[in-house]
Amino acid sequence: MTNFKSYLAPATLDEAVDQLNQGNVTVLAGGSDLMLRVGAGNYDPSHTLMNILKINELRNISFEDNEVQIGTLTTITEIREDPELSIKMPLLGQAADQFASMQIRNVGTIGGNICNASPAGDMLVPLLLLDAAVELARQSDGGVASRRVALKDFFVGPGKTQCQSNELLTRVSIPFSKQGFRARFYKFGTRPALDISTVSIGIGGIFNNGYLQAPRVAFGAVAPVPFMALKTMKAIEQSPLDSERIKEIAEIARDEIKPIDDVRATAWYRKQLVHNLTIKVLSDVTDA
Amino acid sequence: MAAIIEKESLIGKAIPKMDAPGKVSGHTRYIHDLNLPGQLIGRILRTDRVHARIISIDTKEAEALPGVHAVITAKDVPNKPLGVTKDNPPLKGDKVRCERDEIAAVAAETEALAEQALSLIKVEYEELPALFDPRQALLENAPVIQESKPDNISMEFDYSHGDVEQGEAESDVVIEDLFKLHYVTHCCMGASGVIADFDSTSGNLTLYSNTQVPFLHKREFASVLNMDPNRIRIIQPPIGGGFGSKLDIYPFEPIAVFLAQKARRPVKLTFSREEEFLASPTRQPAYLRLRSGVTKEGVLTFRTLDSLLDNGAYTSWGATIPFVMMQTFSSLYRVPHCLYHTTTVYTNNPYAGSFRGYGNLQATFCVEAHMDKLAEAVGIDPLRFRLKNAQQAGETSGQGMHFKSCGFKECLTTAAARSDYAIKREQNLKAQGDDNAVKKGIGMASMLHVGGGAKIYPSDGCGTILKMDDFGHVTLMTGASEIGQGSETVLSQLVCEELGLPLSAVTVVNNDTDITPWDVGVHASRTTFIAGNSAIGAARLAREKILNAAAGTTAMPADQLSLRGGCIVIDESGEAVITLDKLLRSLHFQERAELVTTSFYYEPPSVHQDKAFKGDVSASYAWATQVVEIEVDTLTGVVTLNRCTAAHDVGRVLNKLGIEGQVEGGIVMGQGYALTEDLLIDEGHCQNPNFRDYKLITAPEIPEIDLSFIETMDGEGPQGAKGIGEAPAICMAAAIANALYNATGVRIYEAPFSPEKVYRALKGCSQPLEW
Repeated sequence: MTNFKSYLAPATLDEAVDQLNQGNVTVLAGGSDLMLRVGAGNYDPSHTLMNILKINELRNISFEDNEVQIGTLTTITEIREDPELSIKMPLLGQAADQFASMQIRNVGTIGGNICNASPAGDMLVPLLLLDAAVELARQSDGGVASRRVALKDFFVGPGKTQCQSNELLTRVSIPFSKQGFRARFYKFGTRPALDISTVSIGIGGIFNNGYLQAPRVAFGAVAPVPFMALKTMKAIEQSPLDSERIKEIAEIARDEIKPIDDVRATAWYRKQLVHNLTIKVLSDVTDA
Repeated sequence: MAAIIEKESLIGKAIPKMDAPGKVSGHTRYIHDLNLPGQLIGRILRTDRVHARIISIDTKEAEALPGVHAVITAKDVPNKPLGVTKDNPPLKGDKVRCERDEIAAVAAETEALAEQALSLIKVEYEELPALFDPRQALLENAPVIQESKPDNISMEFDYSHGDVEQGEAESDVVIEDLFKLHYVTHCCMGASGVIADFDSTSGNLTLYSNTQVPFLHKREFASVLNMDPNRIRIIQPPIGGGFGSKLDIYPFEPIAVFLAQKARRPVKLTFSREEEFLASPTRQPAYLRLRSGVTKEGVLTFRTLDSLLDNGAYTSWGATIPFVMMQTFSSLYRVPHCLYHTTTVYTNNPYAGSFRGYGNLQATFCVEAHMDKLAEAVGIDPLRFRLKNAQQAGETSGQGMHFKSCGFKECLTTAAARSDYAIKREQNLKAQGDDNAVKKGIGMASMLHVGGGAKIYPSDGCGTILKMDDFGHVTLMTGASEIGQGSETVLSQLVCEELGLPLSAVTVVNNDTDITPWDVGVHASRTTFIAGNSAIGAARLAREKILNAAAGTTAMPADQLSLRGGCIVIDESGEAVITLDKLLRSLHFQERAELVTTSFYYEPPSVHQDKAFKGDVSASYAWATQVVEIEVDTLTGVVTLNRCTAAHDVGRVLNKLGIEGQVEGGIVMGQGYALTEDLLIDEGHCQNPNFRDYKLITAPEIPEIDLSFIETMDGEGPQGAKGIGEAPAICMAAAIANALYNATGVRIYEAPFSPEKVYRALKGCSQPLEW
């Protein structure tokens, strides 16, 4: 086990951002990703380990006029079981249901899943689909200032995000979907639980008169970051969707992704999966 | 009037395993939980190269680290090679030949210090050209892995009976296919570990070890350490799974002893999970080319098998799986002509050990694929084709295996009937062409495995000492180890059956070579059969002593007395004459005191194979048929196993709960081998040494399981039972491959059937197998 230089557990956001400002801090929330890195020796022990679990203000789910705000420390289990969220944003609960294992869902946090920025992060595709944004807090003039970054712009590379070393992700904001919006999320792994996705697909929009309007398509595990598939979205928008057109769109989706070979799958197979599953998910979304 | 005691039996009842409460409640103390006073922690430095000459090893800094008590390299120790062909020195001095190779070891006050010391050891290498593909091992310019074997051949096996040319001439259909089997590893819940402790005055060595073969281990340790075997004692703490992985001696064990010797302190050396993946044995990977023939009437004519085994860098038991493989090719079905050849070649890959089934999963995969293909070629349904060629009781196979009891045909018909095999198979075939993306498949496979020990070593026996105390309590000292298979419970049941006692009256001692009599070890599904017969033998001697003594005190002839419910009773009426404890005390506390102790040694009536590998190596043989039902998602290649219907000839059920657990566990292990488990080795390096990427079957994937036990009441078995420890894992890959074919019309010749591999096969994009 790594010998940490120092450890802190601030009780307020003020203290936390103050500490971040001093540099060389690693943030601990649920620890389900971080502790694996520590165990594998991929952690700088000179960093101060800052446990933010005691900051209660980062914890709650609140429903505002136009959006829901989910505190960064909300666990995946809490998202899965929140009754109001399951009505207003069923997609999140569905994704949480497929997230790792119960033990990991109980400790893993939404903020941690986002900041870990894995191309295969289980919550990221549904959050992208729902046009989520994140709040990043930092110290400013002795107080706390924050900025909002759209999730689609947040991921920079595998494990890399827009969050600066002096910033803390405090909450995720998700606008309420427009009337008639429907979405489907599909995580493909080789077994029903405890798996890292091989590919994940989210497709949503308002299906009207054969068209999927304002379509949103996001893919995970098929590029350096989870991303919005803009070409595929554009293609969906252009013409009414019948089974022939859906097949064409699946080909566009297949060509839009940039997967790699790894121990879980080859790039070829990922492209095939994205093709076949795009047909399946898009058919689901457009199937009245 | 005296109480009447009815005859009661524990045989066939569902009895919780004696070791279960401790294990499920977390109270069992495994080797990881043991700590000796003054103990140091041992750690091994392994190479990061796969083939390199060692130029220098600098341990100075590690030695200088405070808290480090011993640092050893090859030059510090006798280093006699280990393994089946003695080609594996515990510490590598001249060359490293695979990823796991041990270069140095340290013993330190703490784990952290030991790790730190390892990081201070500097090794200089000169890279050597490496050999990863067994198919290239025999090429003229192939790198040589072991200098003593310049041709890279570790072992070769040849077997034949009949005349395959004649068999081929008599065939109406001949097929030939190449199959490939992969690496998997045991994944015991308890990772490997050992504690070595020298007595400071006598110099005697006590080893706390997870070995499955304590007596063979003791002998081998004596040789490796240049020690008198009488000065070595092996104590086995409860073992967290073996499955064959602990059948050989591996470098970490003598290394721990060398460290203890040098440090003059006890040394504990246990593996991390990652190390367990990297450095424990695997199942033997293989290329197998099978050629089979059949007449148009559906009678098998011949089989020719040529196989290539990747030995890895050193030779452990994996290389010897042909002993078992050839039995399946020659004797599962009646095959009049059989020719078998295996070459085992060195490479710079990991080496394989023994693993539940011992080559039979690989062999059955090929044989049962061909049974389906041949049946189809001659237009006979697969069940009828198997029944037509199945061995039956009384037959002796071409290899000399004599099937005194044989429930094979009952296994076939039972599994087929209980799964509606014939109907579902037809329905699935018809549905192949419809536009449903998810296809259903049903497939069957059968197996033959030793069930009455296996005469591999000079003796295949087991000794028992039975002691009865003055309270009527029995201590059963057996050579047979408990590794989770349930032997303690079954042996106790067998003793209780003879002595008319409840299970609570028996304590089993089975883990200390200074106390227990000799046994060859836990392997070859032999413990229930061999140790069971041995325990029965000792119990019968005790029974005879007790009844003779009772005859003396009750004036009834011994043959009219019996033991029931902790009493001596009149056999015919069940009338209690005297309680057992009272009788035992009366024997003990008298002028010519007697303690009831007996010992018995059981050697099964089997014979060693001759030089041509022929002979009746087991006193009994186990049979099974498993039918699986799957769904194949043709959009993704995912295969879902929904149901497994298994029928096993087990001789007789002794412990119903135990045998159900054993068979269910084996089915799931076979399922993992078929579908998800795959130890990925890329240029000699393991790519997935963790449970995230090495995919064991998880709870939601376990299919519905329907079990039938065919009780053939084997004449040699303890209460009629056969050994079945390995049997349930053997059929699964073969049955699932057959089900895949039934579902999709596509046959897969290479395991595991991962989604990508299945998808590629469905698309016709498989990499063609070549050898």
